[in-house]
Amino acid sequence: MKIVLYLHMHQPWRLARFRYLDLGSGRPYFDVPRNLSIFRNIAERCYRPALVRLGQALDEVSGFRFSLSITGTFLEQAREAAPDLLATLRALVRTGRVAIAGESYYHSLSFLLPPPDLAEEVRLHSEVIAREFDYHPKVLRMTELAYSDELARFADAEGFRGMLAEGWEGWLGRASASFVYRASPAPGLALLLRNYRLSDDVGFRFSSREWSEFPLTATKYARWLSDSPGEVIGLFLDFETFGEHHAASTGILDFLSALPHEVVRHPNLEWATVDEAVEGPAHGALSAPNTITWADQNRDLGAWLGNDLQNSAFQAAKKVGALVRLNGDPALLETWRKLFTSDHFYYMYVSGHGADLGVHQYFSAYGSPYDAYANYMNAVTDLRQRAVGPGRA
Amino acid sequence: MVGWEYPPFHTGGLGVHCYEICRELGRMGHRVTFLTPFHGPFTPTSGVEFRWPGGPGTPEDFPYAYETVSGPSERFDRSLTDYNRWVADFVPETPADIVHVHDWFGTVGAINLARRLKLPLVMTIHSTEYDRTLGHPGSDLLERERRGLHAADRVIAVSRHLKRQLVERYQVRPGRVRVIYNAVRPPERLQRLERAGPIVLYLGRLAAMKGVDTFLRAAARAAPLVPEATFVVAGEGPEYPYLLTLAAHLDLSDRVLFLGRVTEEERTVLLAGSSVFVLPSVVEPFGIVALEAMSAGVPTIVSKTSGVAEITQNTFAVDFWDIDEFASRIVELLEYPELRSLMGDRGRWEAIRSGWPERALETVGVYAELMASRASGP
Repeated sequence: MKIVLYLHMHQPWRLARFRYLDLGSGRPYFDVPRNLSIFRNIAERCYRPALVRLGQALDEVSGFRFSLSITGTFLEQAREAAPDLLATLRALVRTGRVAIAGESYYHSLSFLLPPPDLAEEVRLHSEVIAREFDYHPKVLRMTELAYSDELARFADAEGFRGMLAEGWEGWLGRASASFVYRASPAPGLALLLRNYRLSDDVGFRFSSREWSEFPLTATKYARWLSDSPGEVIGLFLDFETFGEHHAASTGILDFLSALPHEVVRHPNLEWATVDEAVEGPAHGALSAPNTITWADQNRDLGAWLGNDLQNSAFQAAKKVGALVRLNGDPALLETWRKLFTSDHFYYMYVSGHGADLGVHQYFSAYGSPYDAYANYMNAVTDLRQRAVGPGRA
Repeated sequence: MVGWEYPPFHTGGLGVHCYEICRELGRMGHRVTFLTPFHGPFTPTSGVEFRWPGGPGTPEDFPYAYETVSGPSERFDRSLTDYNRWVADFVPETPADIVHVHDWFGTVGAINLARRLKLPLVMTIHSTEYDRTLGHPGSDLLERERRGLHAADRVIAVSRHLKRQLVERYQVRPGRVRVIYNAVRPPERLQRLERAGPIVLYLGRLAAMKGVDTFLRAAARAAPLVPEATFVVAGEGPEYPYLLTLAAHLDLSDRVLFLGRVTEEERTVLLAGSSVFVLPSVVEPFGIVALEAMSAGVPTIVSKTSGVAEITQNTFAVDFWDIDEFASRIVELLEYPELRSLMGDRGRWEAIRSGWPERALETVGVYAELMASRASGP
C-alpha cells in the first residue's frame, strides 16, 4: 500500500479596502503590507516549524517521501516576507524525495475559462516551479482539487501524467478511492484520489475533543492506514493544517514528526510521491461529466459560485478578463489574474438560509460577504475602466 | 412602571420601548400601571392602566423625551419636582411586585416609591445625559440619572455600548447591568412605490448627535456618481436650519429633500420605498429606526458605535466620521443590485427573527431574578 502525503501551500493576495470613491484614483487594490504580515505570522506558526519537521523526517526515515503544491502567489509573498522558506523548500526538493504538483499559478478559477487561458496559467506555474526549484511537475492539481473529464483532457494535452481528485462516493459510485484509475476521456492520464475520511481525520478532527477517537496518535493512525484495503491512500491536506488550523499546542506538529516513523513500521505500507503513485497500475477508467471539488458536503463549486454575489462577481470578472486581454497590457493582465484567485469568491460565501454568516467567516479576510463583494466589484470595475482606456469607461 | 411619554405621541426609542414592552407584558398576563405626567391620549394597551397627576400638565411643562430642553427653566423644574413627588406618594390599587423606571425623568420619585412600598427597583436606560448633550451634561439631569442608577437593584441598558458607558462614567457595577436590546415589529405589508429613481433615506430627529451633516456630506460625494438618486431627510429638530444651509453650501439643493415631520403612515411608505437607509449617528444608544428599515427589506448602513450595530450582521457598519466610506457604501448599494437584494432580504430576516416578545421575556427575567432574591433574602 502506497501512502501519498500531499500538502497544499497557498496564500492569496487579499484586497485592501478599495472604495467606490477610489475608482480612477490609481490606488492599489491589494494590501501588500497586510498580506505580508499575515504571511509572516503563518510562516512563524506553521510553514517554518512544519517544514523543519518534514526535513527531519526525510533525514531520519529513508523511505519517507511527500508531495507539495505551491502556488505562484505563495511564492511571491514568500520572497518578500520569508525568503528563508524558499531556501528550505529548495533543500527539501533537492533530496529527490519531494514532488511538486502543477496547478494554476494564481490558485484561480481559471479552470472555468476556455482551455487556452487555463493553459497560460498552468504553464506560468510550471515555469516558476522550474525556475525556483528546478522541478518539472508531472501531476496536475486544479484549484480546490477541481476535476472533470474536460480538465482530464486538458491535463493530458498539456503533457501531465496524472491528476489529483477528491475520492468521493458521489462520483466514484462503488469504485474505491484506494486505487489508481485512468481518466476515461484520456486513457494516458492516471487519477490519484484523496481519501477524504483519513485526510479529514487529520485536517478537521485532529483537535476535536468531541471526536470519539480523540486524541489521535501517529501509532493509531498508522494502524488505520495499514488496516485499509487497496493499493494507495491519498492524504491530501492544506499545509496550514500543521500549526495554523490546528495550533502547535494540539500536538499536530509532533503527530507530523512521528507519522513517517510509524508508517514504515508496517511492512505493508510504503511512502510515495504523487509522481511515483501515478506510475502504478491503473484499475479501470473513471468518468466525471461534472466538476468535483474537495469542498463542503456537496463537493461542488458552491463555496465559490453558490450565491448571487459570487455569480455576479464571477461574471463581471470574466467580462473584464476579456477586455484586459484585448488591451494587451501585461501589468493589467497580472492584476486581473490576482483578482481571479478563488479565495476572493470564497469570501463572498453566505451560508444556509438564515441570517448567520457561518463557518466560512473563519477563512474570510473581511467582516462580511457584503464587504468582500462590494470591495471586489469596485476593484473589478476600476480595472475595467483602466482596460478600456480613458474616455471609454 | 414609571415612564414619561407613551404613543401615539412620542419622540423616540423610549416611547416605543415602553409601549412594546407593556404590550407584551400585558399579553403574558402581567398587569402594568403606567405613571406619566401627560394626560394622554394613550394607545390603548391591554393589561396596562395609565395614571397621571391630574393637575395641569402640558407639553410646555413636560417636554418630550428627546426634545432639546432650551436651558434650565424654572417652570420645568417645578413641574418635574411636582411629578416626582406625586410618583413617590403614588398608592397602587393592587399590590405591586416591581417598580420599573425609564431614564432620568422620574428617578427621584421612583426611588422613594420603591423604598416606601419595599419593592425592588429596575431602571432602564435608553440614553445618557452625556449622549444627549454630546458630552456636555447638565448637572441636574446628570444627578437624577446617577441617583437612579445607583439606587436601582438592576439596570437595563439597550446596548453593550451603553452598558460600558454606565460602568465607566457612572461607576455602576457591571454585574448589576443587563443588556436588553430594542426590537422591531414586522411590518404588516410592504407598500412599494412606483418611482423614477432610487431614494437614499435618513429618518430621525435632526439633532447634533444624529450626524445628519455626515449624511449630507456623504450625499454630496455620492450624488455625481448616482445621478438618478434622491437623498431624503425625514424628521425635524434643532439642527434643521443648519442642515438646510449646509445642503445649499454643498450644492445639493436639487438632490436632497427635507420632508420635516412625517406621520406613522408616511414613515412606513418612506421606509418601504427607499433603496438605502443610512443611520450616521455620532451617538446612538440603540437606533430602532435602523431595524425598522431592515424589517422593510431596505439595505442599511449604520455607524459602528450604534447599539443596533452590535446585533446586526447584515448591514454595513461605518465609522461615524468617515464621510467617504458612507458615500462609497451608498453608491455600492445602488450600483450593485445583487448586493442590495441579498443584504435587503437577509437583513429583513435578521431584524424580525427576534422581536419584542423575546425582549419582554428578558425583562420579566430581570424581574423574576429580583423577586426570587427577595423571597430568599433576609
